[in-house]
Amino acid sequence: MSAALAEPGPSRMALALTVNGRAVRVAAEPRSHLGDVLRDGLDLTGTHLGCEHGVCGACTVLLDGEPVRACLTFAGACAGAAVTTIEGLDTDAIAGELRAAFNREHALQCGYCTPGMLVAARDLVLRLPEADERRIRVGLSGNLCRCTGYAGIVRAVMAVIADRRGRGIPSETGAERALGPVGAGVGAALVAPLHPPADPVAPAAPAAVADLSDAFAPAQGFTQVLDLAHPPEAVFALLGDIAAVAACLPGAVLTARPTPDTVEGGLQVRIGPIATTFRGRARIGRDEVARTGAVHGAGTDAGGRSATEGRIRYRVGAGPTPGTTRVELDVGYTLTGPLAQFGRPGLVRDLAGRIAAEFCRNLDARLSGVEAPAPAGLNPLRLLLGLARARLAAWLGRA
Amino acid sequence: MKPAAFAWERPDSLPALLARLAEAPAGVKLIAGGQSLGPMLNLRLVEPSLILDITGVPELREARVEGDTLVLGACVTHADLEDGRVPDLTGGALRRVAAAIAYRPVRNRGTIGGSLAHADPAADWVSALTALGAEVEIAGRTGRRALPVERFVTGALTVALGPDEILLAVRVPALPAGAAWGYVKHCTKIGEFAHAIGAVRLEPGAGRGRAVIGAVEGPPVLLADARPLFGGRIGPDFAARFDPRAADLALREAGMADAVERHIHVTVLGRAVAAAADPDPRADTLPEAA
Repeated sequence: MSAALAEPGPSRMALALTVNGRAVRVAAEPRSHLGDVLRDGLDLTGTHLGCEHGVCGACTVLLDGEPVRACLTFAGACAGAAVTTIEGLDTDAIAGELRAAFNREHALQCGYCTPGMLVAARDLVLRLPEADERRIRVGLSGNLCRCTGYAGIVRAVMAVIADRRGRGIPSETGAERALGPVGAGVGAALVAPLHPPADPVAPAAPAAVADLSDAFAPAQGFTQVLDLAHPPEAVFALLGDIAAVAACLPGAVLTARPTPDTVEGGLQVRIGPIATTFRGRARIGRDEVARTGAVHGAGTDAGGRSATEGRIRYRVGAGPTPGTTRVELDVGYTLTGPLAQFGRPGLVRDLAGRIAAEFCRNLDARLSGVEAPAPAGLNPLRLLLGLARARLAAWLGRA
Repeated sequence: MKPAAFAWERPDSLPALLARLAEAPAGVKLIAGGQSLGPMLNLRLVEPSLILDITGVPELREARVEGDTLVLGACVTHADLEDGRVPDLTGGALRRVAAAIAYRPVRNRGTIGGSLAHADPAADWVSALTALGAEVEIAGRTGRRALPVERFVTGALTVALGPDEILLAVRVPALPAGAAWGYVKHCTKIGEFAHAIGAVRLEPGAGRGRAVIGAVEGPPVLLADARPLFGGRIGPDFAARFDPRAADLALREAGMADAVERHIHVTVLGRAVAAAADPDPRADTLPEAA
């Protein structure tokens, strides 16, 4: 039994459900998803968990009669709802026909996807009595099977649909149901507090940063251009002053400078609701003659789950008009862990573009002798409070 | 793949929700159907201390027609639109977009307001509602305001909601008689987030139209006046007049540097234009990858 469903405790809510026709009460943490409630709280292990982020379809169950992802339905979201799992479909006519057809067509091998596949297939049979093979394949595309190549599954579903059509059984569209997410019954207020309140987690030591090898080959890259209304020599000089430049970079904190060309610190990254802080170190190089520089760094987030390594090369040149500067940034990075699993390169570029725009404004303010404005929209650096206030340019683009 | 611990509250009225939101700690997050936020919670990319479930507010689960405008409460689901449980003023445009979002179990819980407030650039409603000229209704403790969708979505996963505000409803103007609508998304696997989206809402009779190129890095690229895409004039022959070079130029100006990316997006926009000229009622409920 998982920790989330251990014996009753103060952080758990009393969850009333109707499961397979039987009224049940189960204690669950608000964060428990319906799949864990069913499996760990009620021993209904027919509902399988695969990816737990809505992609594989193994956990598909019926909520108020409609298929949903159990892994994306949290306990608090379905209070009072009726759940039907694969165990509850033993006597269901359509499920019975599907089981026979799956058996006949060899529509399963290991069986891991089968409970979700049957629930999804039953929904297609009910809603799409005219479906051809293409519609069925589209309709089953949210349920992954690693064994069968889908051919037998599609044949089985087609056979059941054709048979029921032959018997003149009409579709059920669910047209009369109430608006809104299925399972979210109207009217019931709910308060499930968290006891004790979630304390900020002490920052875990960052995982050891691998040696910053010159052979680093980034997986992703993009370029960025900053235009500044100040002469190139002034801009290049400022870019050599780590503390000054870093003060212009939103979300960055410098914690140590063990050697003249090495810095340690962190960068808080926010993309919409995602907020994470990478900590690590970076090496700085600079060519005074060519007016170029490079920063090569690596870091991990607080739990050490997501990791990144990146390199920024910059070149300071003359801008389009005399007395102005164009800074060309060449950013390459590799991201691993959950953030990479979710993040698409485009989101990182959009974030980097917005960081660069703010960085550019702050640089301009500093070069103009104005105090850089306080960065807008950034939360306090939860994991880095009390550390040095100086900031670090090295972390630009470390998303 | 288990979320960090959070408290869960489900206010049962709009005043209660707004009051709770105004006094809530910084780590509060709103949830509707949870089909975008859920994966982020499970991956612990988002770790709120309190989740406010907005589905208990009755007016968020309503839809109505106000004159020439369809008003969809934030908690109306994709499946509600797919199944025709709400009125339609768009000649089926909303229904076809909704029917091709992700998978049926996701559509049964995922909401139009949640998707829009989440503002993933590759999500369908961000582009489709921008092309349709929709507005959002926003409620805060101090009152209500409205914004066009193109001013609501300000960046990837970023919208113009204040910390004590919620998205109340989406207001979709009717598609007038004679208007042409085309929406195409390109996915390599059915149900995944799109790699490119093209959408056009054209009024050949009035000589005007909007075009959107979506699933880009930030907010969708909107041509509120789409005439440059059609040699300066939108008429009944708009499909033949579509000029891919003008679309390519618009993407260059929007900062899309990669020529391959531009080619993909221009091609998908061209397909949306073709679909607007010659709607195929059989094919258009299926994503392109099908």
